[in-house]
Amino acid sequence: MRDVKKLMVAVLVLLAAAAIAACGSSDDSTTGAAAGEESQPVSGEFAPVPGAPEAYSIVGGEAELERSSGGTTVSISLNGLEPKTPYIAHLHVGSCERSDPGGPHFQFEKGGSEEPPNEIHLRFTSNAAGEGEAEVTSKREVPEREAGSVVLHVDHSHHEMTSFEANEAEAVFVHEGVDHSKEGTGHPEGKSQPAHSDKIACAELEGGRWEEAGSATAVEAPTIVVRDGEPVDGVAELEFSAGEEVRFRVTSDQAEEIHVHGYDLAQEVPAGGTVEFAFPAELEGIYEVELEQLAVQIVELQINP
Amino acid sequence: MSFLPLAHALSAREDLPVPAWLFAWAASIVLIISFFALAAGWRSPRFEELRERPLSEGLSRVLLGLPAQLLYGLVGIFLLGLAVYAGIEGTAAPDRNFALTFLFVTCWLGFPFFSAILGDLFRPFNPWRAIGRAAGAGFKLIAGQRPAHLPYPEKLGRWPAAIGLLAVVWLEVIYGSGGVILEPETAGVAALVYTAYTLAMMGVFGVEKWCQRGEVFSVYFGMFGRLGIFGTRDGRLERRRPFSAATSWATVPGSAAVVIASIATTSYDGASEGAFQDPMESVFEWIAEAGIGLTASLRITETAFLLLCFAVVALVYLLGVRGMRTVPGAPSLSTLRTGFAHTLIPIALAYLVAHYFSLFVFQEQAQFTYLLSDPLGTGTTDLFGTASSGVDYTILSANAIWYVQVASLVVGHVIGLMLAHDRALVYWTDYRKATASQYWMLAVMVAFTCFGLYLLSVANG
Repeated sequence: MRDVKKLMVAVLVLLAAAAIAACGSSDDSTTGAAAGEESQPVSGEFAPVPGAPEAYSIVGGEAELERSSGGTTVSISLNGLEPKTPYIAHLHVGSCERSDPGGPHFQFEKGGSEEPPNEIHLRFTSNAAGEGEAEVTSKREVPEREAGSVVLHVDHSHHEMTSFEANEAEAVFVHEGVDHSKEGTGHPEGKSQPAHSDKIACAELEGGRWEEAGSATAVEAPTIVVRDGEPVDGVAELEFSAGEEVRFRVTSDQAEEIHVHGYDLAQEVPAGGTVEFAFPAELEGIYEVELEQLAVQIVELQINP
Repeated sequence: MSFLPLAHALSAREDLPVPAWLFAWAASIVLIISFFALAAGWRSPRFEELRERPLSEGLSRVLLGLPAQLLYGLVGIFLLGLAVYAGIEGTAAPDRNFALTFLFVTCWLGFPFFSAILGDLFRPFNPWRAIGRAAGAGFKLIAGQRPAHLPYPEKLGRWPAAIGLLAVVWLEVIYGSGGVILEPETAGVAALVYTAYTLAMMGVFGVEKWCQRGEVFSVYFGMFGRLGIFGTRDGRLERRRPFSAATSWATVPGSAAVVIASIATTSYDGASEGAFQDPMESVFEWIAEAGIGLTASLRITETAFLLLCFAVVALVYLLGVRGMRTVPGAPSLSTLRTGFAHTLIPIALAYLVAHYFSLFVFQEQAQFTYLLSDPLGTGTTDLFGTASSGVDYTILSANAIWYVQVASLVVGHVIGLMLAHDRALVYWTDYRKATASQYWMLAVMVAFTCFGLYLLSVANG
């Protein structure tokens, strides 16, 4: 009997160990949220975005975002551009990996002005060697989790272009500088551009947002693309903490009604249109977002306490 | 391919996985409690006697008299009829139709929850029993004698109910999954088919006999009712010691299969979303590649895993029983097998509470508001002015749900240990040997409780 007892003790200890081991392995999602480094500069390298004009396939360079005493400085340097062309770059909230690289512009006041100082724009004109750089300093601090990327465009509206939209440090996009006020005149270099965007290059700001925190997704407003009544990338898993703002967009090629269960929010999306949901995460649990007519789930919305 | 349990169709909401730290605490507490339970074991059985105390005769007459029985029966028949009618005639949207929520949440979960506290509540409301008894009374009136029945083959015991239980859960979580939503109409038709089957069986074996052995819902809900504190004897309502009525429950063959089926089905429903998801998808793809249709492949996969759950739960229990047999003075294997089956009832209940408590709380709001006012989900009826109400998901925080889940498993574990220890003292009059035998049952209980915790803590796919 004593032997049996010893055996059982051994079994129980093993079970306890297994239990604790199981915990350790499933622990990753609960930690690391607030671990963003306070004032370390975040930086990234420019690379052409998918669909960028052929001529920009050699674009490279760096973007850096530094927070200091309540302010934010964003600087970029680029090479491989067209010579003597005006460019503009904006700070974005999202990742370069998104289908619309960088997502929306960073804004200090969300939904406010689309111009500096509410956004961070960096304008410059390339030199004869196709190089250029710009720096802009804002008196406000870009929140830890909102610096996604810097995206470069050709400067369409030369007169209003200055520099980065460095609002959100997630991505800095460099766009080709075409003057929006003179639509139809074409780009200075006469380059063909993707119909939807004139984005040229994007620099992912590594560490610019809380990659693991889930809160990052709140700010970058991920877009769920629906084609033929199915989410193209499968059911999206979005995770938020209670009290945060849940934000995401749905683009559909067919007219549908998007329904957020539990919260019971619904929006009609027209064929080819996009709707954005933004609401406070009040209800804890895991909720379905679905195409109401087809009863197809597109998002699994997880709200943690 | 996604595996969606019924809860999705009804509320499109799931519980968050229990966080790792809570899992660790709960598992540790379970282990510590288990050690103390062994050390501090009592030396003579305490739950084997019912110790019933009859309640006042007047109360019994009001609650159990013929008018009351008629009333309960009519209510039962009316609600069954309403569910069938709503299922067949009402909207095809699962969440807007009275039938699914009423059958699979209000009844399927409500009767176990409340019966476990109060005693068997289903028996008086059982619509089939009411119809059967009325038919029997009618027969006697016309023929002047009681209807004759075949003797029930006692070897079958509760096996028909155990198999029926698996079939009901199959319909609930497997037939209606993977894009083929269980439609209210299917549930309504299934209820009709089950009614015909049950009435036929009652005709053959007698109403009460079939309710005790083969009628799935009577057996299943009655099992949980054995934990409750009220019972009846000779038409008299009585209070009894909690859990003590369970001690005599498993003497009928096949009872162990019923309680094992209960644990297995709940585990399956939880695991198919989390722990089993990846292996299930592999098996599904493997079957689908063999050229079988998608829906069929999905159902085959899920059925296989449901049966696997049943086999594993049974195996763990039988291993524990086998181990007890090695303790000197042990009774026969079959005695042990039936003798300890009732100790799993609290575990089965704990699994139910842990997995479905939040669904029950949320979905009952729907049941008593819009589903009651607009049972067919037509959008044009509003019987009680609550057709446009919604479900308030804020009444339970994620934390509250976690604590209820973990607490139910720990409490179920403790009650199971108590009952097992008590039963061991019946077989081994030497309490030291009884305690030695309980190392084995303890291992079984710890395995079930930790498995239950594990299922709750695995993130949904």
